[in-house]
Order: sequence, then structure tokens, then C-alpha cells
Amino acid sequence: MTVPKVRQHPEHLEWVGKSIPRVEDPKFLRGRGNYIDDYEVPNMLEVAVARSTMAHAKILSIDTSAAEAVPGVVAIVTSENVADHVNPNPDFGPSPERHTWHCLAVDKVRYMGEGIAAVAATSRAVAEDAAELIEVEYAPLEPLTDMHEALEDDAPLVHEALGSNIPFQRNFVFGDVEGDFAAADVIVRDTLRWGRSGGQPLETVGAVADYDAATGMMTIHANSLTLTHFLFTMANTLRVPSNKLDIHPHPAGGSFGAKFWEVKTAIIAGMMARVTGRPVKFLQDRLDNIANGDHHGSDRYYEVELAARSDGTMLSVRYKVVDNYGAYIQFGVGQHGNSLAQAIGPYRMNSLQYDLTAVLTNKCQQGAYRGFGSEVGNWILERMVDLLAAELDMDPVELRRKNFIGPEEFPYFIPTGNVYDSGDYEAVLAKTLELFDYEGWRRRQAEMRAEGRHVGIGVCTCQERSVFSATEFWFWFDEPVAAPVTSAPESVTLRVDPMGAVTATLYSNASWGNSAETMVAQFVAEELGVHPEDVTIVYGGTSQGMPATGPGGSRFTIMASGAVEGAAQKIRAKAAKIAAHLLEANEDDLVWEDGGFVVRGSPDRRKELAEISLAAHMFKHSLPEEIETGLEAAHVQDHPYTTMPNPERTDLGVFYPFVGHASHMVVVEVDPETGRVEFLDYTAVHDCGTVVNPRSVGGQVIGGTVQGLGTTLYEEFLYDADGVLRTPSFAEYLIPSALDSPTLRVGHNETPSPYTPYGIKGGGEAGRMMAPSAICAAIDDALGIRIRRLPATPERIVEMVDAKD
Amino acid sequence: MKSPPFAYHRAASAAEAAALLAEFGADARILAGGQSLIPLMNLRLASPGCLVDITTAADLDGCGSNGGGLDVGAAARQRSVELHADTLATAPALAEAIANAGQVPVRHQGTVVGSIAHADPSAEMPAAFKAQGGTVRVLDASGSREIASEDFFEGYFTTALAEGELVTGVTLDAWPTGSGHGFLEFSVTAESWPIALAAVLIHVAGGTIDRASVVLGGVAEVPLRRPEAEAILVGAAPGAAAFEAAAEAAAMGIEPLSDSFGSGAYRKKLARVMTRRALTAAAERVGGES
Repeated sequence: MTVPKVRQHPEHLEWVGKSIPRVEDPKFLRGRGNYIDDYEVPNMLEVAVARSTMAHAKILSIDTSAAEAVPGVVAIVTSENVADHVNPNPDFGPSPERHTWHCLAVDKVRYMGEGIAAVAATSRAVAEDAAELIEVEYAPLEPLTDMHEALEDDAPLVHEALGSNIPFQRNFVFGDVEGDFAAADVIVRDTLRWGRSGGQPLETVGAVADYDAATGMMTIHANSLTLTHFLFTMANTLRVPSNKLDIHPHPAGGSFGAKFWEVKTAIIAGMMARVTGRPVKFLQDRLDNIANGDHHGSDRYYEVELAARSDGTMLSVRYKVVDNYGAYIQFGVGQHGNSLAQAIGPYRMNSLQYDLTAVLTNKCQQGAYRGFGSEVGNWILERMVDLLAAELDMDPVELRRKNFIGPEEFPYFIPTGNVYDSGDYEAVLAKTLELFDYEGWRRRQAEMRAEGRHVGIGVCTCQERSVFSATEFWFWFDEPVAAPVTSAPESVTLRVDPMGAVTATLYSNASWGNSAETMVAQFVAEELGVHPEDVTIVYGGTSQGMPATGPGGSRFTIMASGAVEGAAQKIRAKAAKIAAHLLEANEDDLVWEDGGFVVRGSPDRRKELAEISLAAHMFKHSLPEEIETGLEAAHVQDHPYTTMPNPERTDLGVFYPFVGHASHMVVVEVDPETGRVEFLDYTAVHDCGTVVNPRSVGGQVIGGTVQGLGTTLYEEFLYDADGVLRTPSFAEYLIPSALDSPTLRVGHNETPSPYTPYGIKGGGEAGRMMAPSAICAAIDDALGIRIRRLPATPERIVEMVDAKD
Repeated sequence: MKSPPFAYHRAASAAEAAALLAEFGADARILAGGQSLIPLMNLRLASPGCLVDITTAADLDGCGSNGGGLDVGAAARQRSVELHADTLATAPALAEAIANAGQVPVRHQGTVVGSIAHADPSAEMPAAFKAQGGTVRVLDASGSREIASEDFFEGYFTTALAEGELVTGVTLDAWPTGSGHGFLEFSVTAESWPIALAAVLIHVAGGTIDRASVVLGGVAEVPLRRPEAEAILVGAAPGAAAFEAAAEAAAMGIEPLSDSFGSGAYRKKLARVMTRRALTAAAERVGGES
């Protein structure tokens, strides 16, 4: 595809840009959201999964006789017969046959918590009673959790068929890296470690499945499964024809990426529905979700080099990354495509190297988590920029400012081939400095330090790429894994009924906590002149659905805006024909204005959308012959800006084109004796193009920043050397609450995208993509240490202080 | 996270609770606020066959001064004890310990005596109780007895209670005028479990500490009295030098375990820091003396 045309955005917008109350709120606040836990059907069974207590072991035998005898137990499927019922799970990695993944462990367990049996019973409590009685005989194998050990020649193998623990490895070189490093005056180097954390939704992953043996139809209601247009792959797993699988979305109850592609829960529910002949619910409990939820985030080790001139001009960066993917490849290498999309940050650099080794170990498999890997890349680069500032004794703000890509340089192609569509980083920085009062805080910091207080200031300036394209699923490989898919579409159907009321049908699991319905309602209101609260929003199941991808990579708002825009154009085009007939005017003389058509120059000759729609529905034979009854239109919004990778992979093409920016500035006070970090101030200014709903984006920024705080200071799925998960519940896996969070001052800067409707860019992941960088810099500044490993727990901070003394 | 099946009995009085314990034996557990026991049951770490609910036993409720010390009934909720005027007057260390435990809604459910009887060595209320000193009142089907706070805690979640016994209440002995308390804990987040805590009381007369109590939580299998620290304090003038020395002595020789919250070495360091800061706070609160 070629570069999309540059849009002229309308000067006046009626609804886009207004902080209208969320249209979802009335149902969610009344407890009428229809979460999976609330969704019940008659005769329904519930499932509990017995989980492995070993990290790595051969399964010798499974005895279910005591469990089967528990009154209320209907069926049990175990590791020994799961392959009789389902095929392996869909797998986006290369050579799935070499690291086969089933919904229950087959032959051996590969991490602590992996499912070994699914019990369907008349209640979850009975199912748990029975699951507890299942006896498993294991032959322990050597556990492997350390990614470096996984690379050693004599390491135990997680998947024998793979022959090593490396499912993929690739070294990309973009531009003249060697030349740029040779020309550098200064090269800063460091090793950095990003610990494994994950999104923690209020409702865990769940599904209700019902199999109709008479029709062969498998119907699944699920709160995960966002990547809708790939769900046909689940039909193969469940052994039903693809046109006999119908998946209905329910509100996620929080995802943060964690429910992007969690197929296992729905597969277990589907399998048990088919085995029992009854509807079946499987809703993970918190222990299932943490140990076996397929949503652990990046777990990476980096060796990084940043080359610069002595005046601070950055030239090139080399990343050598090892990523611990855990036991299976759930979702390929998307996490690193996300990093590559903005691998030079907001800084002008002409080359970079990205050398990735993915390893498999006895940990739970990775999924997506807010940032999808790009938040790690941001932290790494910002850590290096701070190191360069220290090396050159430059103010960290000035060093950043000096290297910013200028507002006149857009669209800016980065060395990987991706494009930054637009930006004004200097403006965001200036706004942040002002809102934060950087000079004032530096003064106050000096005063507080004079009192013996350990106060530090941190700054970051980071990118937020948005709207992924599907090419990143395969550009890692010389030959595409399955097929060189080229778009990640989103569709909307708009129906105007005889009274002029509008219903929008969405086809993905859009409601992630991202105000998807509010966004669609605002777009429909903007395009058709109705009130957003009057728009009804419904969801189509996949069997009647249109191509859709759903949220992920901060894409939904933009994709939905294009889909609504396209469908509304079709509706207005048909409405114009009808209005012209009703008004006895020439169609070319009609103007769309405030929700109706008016004859240019004759404001009294006007037809409202409702009048037109009534005619469209009821008066077919009074209208011109070619007009069909009804007023409905669907539109598929394909990815707006994708270009193909070249065969050599020295240019990955455009795959993440709408790139926002943010600056966070934070003041912390640290207790050097305990390692406690307290926030004295926090300012976040974001530029995600045209803001659709400032209040909603502000909420995303605050929520994301607090998640980033947790990632930075304490959240970690901690496995010991034996593969024992030491953080199995929220008693040990600590997440921040309001009591731990700073009061944020949030600002918006708006640099519209030239390529999207209204100029919108994605903003949903932003806070978490910035907070770790700013917070670490502030802690460093407070104590004179350098954080190189996340989370920087209080204990690790104390260790760094002690090591310094 | 569903509990295994269990039977449920509601006792109208302490005597009825004791009778039910006698009837069901080792399979029975007392249910008070349920803030520790119910999660353990849902995690299937505890599976009592029978729960004896004492929360509506009228003779077990209540909290108040008995003239000398503070009596707390087994059904008294933490929040009501925390805010009670007699607690603030007689056992302010307990009030502060409660304020550090869980969130307000949890404290409206949980009971002080339940937390003490649960005997989690990292918990706030056992440490504050032991630091202040007092007695545990115990009942079984055959009669009642008292156990000194010093002798009550025997190990992780283990007390001097015998089978068939329930705690009907505790008494915290009052400290005389001229006393001050300090309670400090360190937890990673505002709502997470404390890694280490210190509960201290000192009494100052004529510019010299003549009585001291130092108890640490989270560092051993019981709330741990630190006699070496107390010995340094008694006879010393309150101040940074004595507090630092006492804090060092308090942390010396303890061997805390490591877990996901922190290593033994970190706990040890925190124990010292919490002790020093708690003593400093206690000195500031000493009334009428300096």
C-alpha cells in the first residue's frame, strides 16, 4: 500500500473532544455489565482445573477414582486423554509442532500451575473438592527458570522436540551501526533487567460454552479473545467446523492486554461442554489466573550500548536482548515488534541493532501487558539516556531536548522502517516543565537535601506507538510462519431505525475498560448528528460477525473511528438520495447539517435523519426504484497505513504508524534505611493526537501510570530456582492501591495525526510506558544510585544504598 | 478458591461455644471475624469440619477499662477497640497496632482476640499485646483459666491453648503515668503484610528509663521479646545513643527467614530501624517526663 492521503481535519467538532460521561457507566455502576461471572444458563456445570505442583516433571499416572466418586462430579478430562478431545492450542510462534501446547499438560508438566485435569461438576466448590482428590504421580525433571542457564548446552530441555530452549533468534541491523559507533566520542554501556509482571484484572478470564450435538454448533461466551479475526483457529482446536463456532464477547472486567489472546480458558470450557453435553462455565479463580493465566509480561535481560558525540548528539544504539518466554509460545514475538516500532524513542538516530534471543523455561507463558513489550524498550532507552547525561554531566532535560526529532521532520522514518506520523516533542516537554515547575522543584530539592532529606527528580520523554499492523506477526522470519497477513481490520455496522435511532454493532471484544462504547457513541454522534447517549451499542457473535481485531496496541479508538466514519458515509449517501427525492431537490444541492439534509440556500427546506429513515423503511414504493428498504451500512476499516517488509528485513516497513509522545516528571523522597519510596509530586503530559474524550484519556493515563509504578517498585511473578512460584496470590504479588499512588497532574498536548479520522492517535497504554523511566530516574537522583533491575523493591534499593557506602 | 464443606454452629454464649468445642473435638474451629480463617479455608490451607461462630455471643463482646488494665472480649471488633476511649487511654500501642492492620472494612469484621489467638508472628496485635503484657482468658467445658501473654505464643500459628479451649478475652495491663509507646512496621505497599515490626513501651522516672518492653514481629516464629535491648534501655537516659544501642541489640542474634517479601538480612535490618524509630516515638510520648 502507498502512503495514505493527508487529511484535512474539520475545524469544528461537536462531540469529539468533549469529556462526556461514559455511556457504559449506567450498566457497570448498576452491576448490570453482564460479566462472565454473572452470566448463567440453565443446567450449567462449572469447571475447576487441578494444577501441577511441580515445575518440570514427567506425568507417570493420574488417578481420578476418588474425584469421580464425589457427588456432583459429571466428567473429568486429564492429561492422559485431553488429546482425544481437542487439538493443540493455536500458536503464533514458528514451528508450533516443536513446542506443542495443549489446554492441559500432555506427557509432562512444564511449569508450576499448569493444568493436569479439568473437572466439571454441579458447582465450582464441588469441582474443587474433586480436583483436590486427583492423585498424580510425577517423575521430577530438572527445573529451569533462569534464562541464561536455558542457553547452556547441557540445560534441561523444556520441549525435547525443539532440540534447544531457543524457539527463535534474530539479529536485525538497521543503518550503518558500525560506522556510527566508530564515529562516536562516547559510548555508554549497561546491563539491565526487566522483571516479569502482568495485568491484574478485577474479573479473571472466563467462558461459558454450550455445544449443541444436534446442530454441531459450539457457542462460547467469553470475556477474553480479543483478536477476533483469528478466532477461526480455535475451531481447529475444538474440532468443530469454523462455521460452527460462535463466540460472543462479554465485558473484560479489566484486561490491560492480559485478555488479548487467552484462548485456553474458552477451549477448556468448550471441551468440557462437548464431553458432558451440558453448558459449562470455567472462570479462573485468582490462583489460576496468577499461576496459569497465560498473561505474564516481558521478562528480559539487556546488554545495551548507546553511542553519542561529546556534545550529547546521539548516533546509534545496540540492543542485545534475551527474553524468557516461559513454557510455551502463546503469541509469537509481538512483544519485540512493539519495541522495534519505536526503538530510537523520540531521538534522532540513524541506525540501530536489535539482537533478540527468545528462550523457553519452566515459567508460565507470556501474554500481552499494557505496552506489549514497548514499555520495556522505553525504560531501557531512557535508562541509557540518563546514563549518557551522567557521563557527559548534562542536565537530563537538556540532553533529551537536544536530540528530539523536530516538529518539521515528520513524517519521520526510523531506521527500522516504521514511521512516526507527527509530533511536537518540544511542546510536550515545555508543557510538562511548566505544569511540573521543574525549576521550582530543583530549588526545593536543594533546600530539602540541605535538611538531610533524600529527594530526587526524574524525567522521561517517551513514545507511544499505536495501531499495530499484522505484518509484525511474521516479519521476524525469512519465511512467514503461517501466512503474510497484512491487515488487522475493525468493523462496525450502523443501523438507523424508522424513528431515526441509531444502533452500532461491534464485532470484537471491545470493552476492556477502555471506554470503547463511549468512543463509538461519540463518533456516531459526530457523524450522524445524534446525541451520544441515544446510540445503542450491541455486539455481534463471530458467526454473524464481520472482520474485527479488537483492542490491543492502543488501536481500538482509531480503528473504530474509521469504521464509523466509513459506515456513516454510506448511510448519508443513501439518505441524501432519499432526501433529494422528498425535498424535490437535486442531490448535489443538499448539505448535511446538524443531523439532517438541507437545500443549500433554503434553510426551511430540510429533512431530518429520522424523517429520511422513516421513508427508507416504510415508503419503498414512493421512492426511486433503485433505493432498497432500510437504512443500514457496515464498514470494514482496514489498517490505514501498512507497508511491506523487504525480503532482507533491513526495512520492516510501516507497521505501527501513529506515534504519540509523553513526558513524565516526578519527585520522590526515599528512605535509605528501608527503601521506601514516597511520591511528592507527579506530572504527566501526553500527546495522543486529537483527544476524543479528555476525561477518559486522563483516566487511562492515571491508571497506566499507577500500573507502571507497580512494575517499577514491587510487582513481580517471582519463581525460585526450583521453579516454585513464590507469589501465587495477591498476598504476595503486590499491586499498588490508591493509598500508594501519587496524585497526578495530567496535561494533554494535541498534535493531530495527518492520517487518521479527526487526527486521533492511541493513548490507552501510555502511562505504563513512561512511569518506570521517570520513577527510576528520580530514585537514582535521590540516593546517588543506579537502578538496573526492575522491580526496584525496597530491599533492592537498600542493597544498592549499602553497596554504595 | 472455594472452601471445602463444613458444618456451622452459632454459639449464643461462651459456655455454649465451649460445649460445642467439646462435642466436635479437634475438627472444630472458633469463627470470630473470619478475616484470617476464611481466606485460609478458601485457599484450602485449613479445612475444619465444623465452625463455631462466637460473634453473636453476648458475653464475649465488649471492650473497656477494668480499673487497671483493658479488657477486650473475644467478639469485639478491631475497629471498635481501635476507636474506644479506654483503649486510647490504657493501651494506645494496641490502638496503633490495629490501625496498621488491614483496611477499615477489614477491621470492622476482624476481632482483636481472633488475631491474637491466630498467632501469626508477623501480625500487629499479637506483638502489641505481648509488648504491653497481660493475660489471656481461656474457657473449656470443664472450667476457665488464665495464660500470661508471655507464655501464650508457642510457634507459627500455635499457642498454649489446649484442645477444646477457646479464648474468651484478653486483658492488657496498664502502664503507669510516665510511659510512652511506639509501634512501627514496614510493609511494601500500604495494604500488604508487614515484613518487620516493632512494638515498644518505656517508662521514664527521673530522667531515666526504669522499665522497657521491646517486641519484634515478622522475625521469628513468635512475637519476639528482646531482653538484651530492654536491658540496655533500663537505667539509660532516653535518647538517640541508648535507642541506637538498644535497636542494635534487638536485631542482634535474630535469624529471620527469607520469603518473597524480603530476605532474612533485610528483615534484620528493618527490625533494627523499626526498633530505633519506635523507641524514639515512645520517648516523645512519655508524659510528664523527658
